[in-house]
Amino acid sequence: METRAQIRTRFAIRVWTAFVLLLVYLPILCGALAGLTKGRYFVFPVKVFSGEWWEKTLSSLEIQTLVHNSLLIAVIVTLVSVLFAFFGALAFARYEWKGRKLYQKIILLPIFFPQPVLGLALLLWFNALGINPSWMTAVIAHLVWIVPVVTLVIAIQVYGFDPTLEEAARDLGASRWFILREVTLPILWPGIWSGALFAFLLSWGNFPLSLYTAGVDSTIPKWLYSKMVAGYTPMVPALGTMSTLSAAALLLGGGLIGMLLRRRRAEA
Amino acid sequence: MTLAVTSSAIAAEPLASAVPQAKPVLQLVGVRKVFGEFAAVDGVNVDFKEGEFVSIVGPSGSGKTTLLRMLAGMEGPSEGYITLRGNLINDVPADKRPTCLVFQSLALFPHKTVGENIEFPLKVRKMPPAERKARALELMRMVRLPESYYGKNVMRCSGGEKQRVALARAFAYDPDVLFFDEPLSALDYKLKKALEKELKDLHRVSGKTFVYITHSLEEAMVMSDRVGVMSRGKLVQIGTPEEIYTKPANRFVAEFFGEVNSFEVRRGADGWKAADGKALVVSGLPEGVSDAATVIVRPETMRFVPTGAAVDNAIQGTIYNEYSLGSRMQYQVHAGERIYLVEAPRGGAVSAGDAVTIGWDAADAIVVGD
Repeated sequence: METRAQIRTRFAIRVWTAFVLLLVYLPILCGALAGLTKGRYFVFPVKVFSGEWWEKTLSSLEIQTLVHNSLLIAVIVTLVSVLFAFFGALAFARYEWKGRKLYQKIILLPIFFPQPVLGLALLLWFNALGINPSWMTAVIAHLVWIVPVVTLVIAIQVYGFDPTLEEAARDLGASRWFILREVTLPILWPGIWSGALFAFLLSWGNFPLSLYTAGVDSTIPKWLYSKMVAGYTPMVPALGTMSTLSAAALLLGGGLIGMLLRRRRAEA
Repeated sequence: MTLAVTSSAIAAEPLASAVPQAKPVLQLVGVRKVFGEFAAVDGVNVDFKEGEFVSIVGPSGSGKTTLLRMLAGMEGPSEGYITLRGNLINDVPADKRPTCLVFQSLALFPHKTVGENIEFPLKVRKMPPAERKARALELMRMVRLPESYYGKNVMRCSGGEKQRVALARAFAYDPDVLFFDEPLSALDYKLKKALEKELKDLHRVSGKTFVYITHSLEEAMVMSDRVGVMSRGKLVQIGTPEEIYTKPANRFVAEFFGEVNSFEVRRGADGWKAADGKALVVSGLPEGVSDAATVIVRPETMRFVPTGAAVDNAIQGTIYNEYSLGSRMQYQVHAGERIYLVEAPRGGAVSAGDAVTIGWDAADAIVVGD
């Protein structure tokens, strides 16, 4: 039996949760509605609803290029950062070596560095080296910031890894490569998976680094910003909504795959 | 040639391990392991014979685990030689040694099923899957795991089942020597007792050499052909359980069995005297000991002496408390400043508060040098 006090507490928790969610999602909802207007301008309340701007957005060649650029950058950043961060995380959390403490601190520093400053600094470097900024330099800029984040995410998983498992595998005759494939990677897989999701989403949504380092190539956040500053059309909120929805879908899908893997393992 | 015949006879005859071969399979000569200034293992010499079950016992920090890690190839010795069948293996890494260690944590692969765990060393050797499965099922029968466990998640097995999986996996590697690092220490008493016996049965059936590390002398006694006692990096004594029990090399070994009554004695002009001046009858002095020794009387050899009965050494005291050990009782007897322990069968006529005479015959006591 629940006491009156317990019922009251539960009620209060629900009200508070709903309030916070409303506060967080109301602006996003307004943005989404702005893309569904028939008019040309950002005006509230929306008078006539229409899918016109969504259609225009989907069929626009310019937007296709943006999505292509953003996707290309995000996919490359994900692959490269996971590769770097996996070994970085092993050095971070698994092995004892001289200078490890220092490495643990230094590797995290870029996360705390303001991104616009980091972007500008990188742009200056690219100029000094005579490299033309493009989506490729944006990849490098994203990596500088995202590799540390992914390293940290994977390192958390590595901390929970029992090194005697590798020792036992070795004792049973396995080579280093065999151990990596059969023991270390499968056990660290959930961490690598979340690290990859993080990498993709952080790159997909990154604005300050892309602004400075992508040169003439535009990405979704960069285009959204420039259109907000000058030349607004309801394609801006429409694309923003689509971008958010696809990121949410990816996150949901990724979480689902992870859950299914875990369940299959647990049920056997 | 004769050797080949004998070793094939071992494989066919399950009780062969009862007659350990004289030829050592694993030999340690002057093995030391130094970490910084500290010698974890300090000059150990020992031969492990073919098919033998040897336990190494010692308190934590005595160097037994370091010794085992050197035998398994996870650490290299700082000094000395380790040979396997006559070949120096000091620098041979773990994956190249025909030995296998069952870890204290068991180190089962949590993402693999029972079957996949057991098949791991077979997969390393690229055995075809069908053959692997057949072998795994065979091993599961040997360690008494039901066949239905083949596809079970290993983390969903009970403590005892995990032990069996770890054992089957070690056997799948088909090593010449199996090492055990206290794999039973985390189990409850009853299961531990059952598994100790099973392990000894398995040792007989397999005919392999077992080296078992434990801090429990009791566990070692149940299973082993020989027991080695380690203290501060040194192997203090190695011998059959009988030898360790009846002829401990020193006080440390004697006390390792549990509580004992000990008396530091000195030889004076008029015979042996305890520290409190009491004259004692001492016999069976070990070689090289002449003037000072320690007399050890186990609680089970200390007995209540009925009035008027003859005994070499007698002490008057009062029973302070009694403890049930199951079929036997242990009594704490206070005599002046000292406390003695006496064990007797259950159903004795004494109880707490009684004034009693306790004592022992000199021949029943153990005399050690220090």
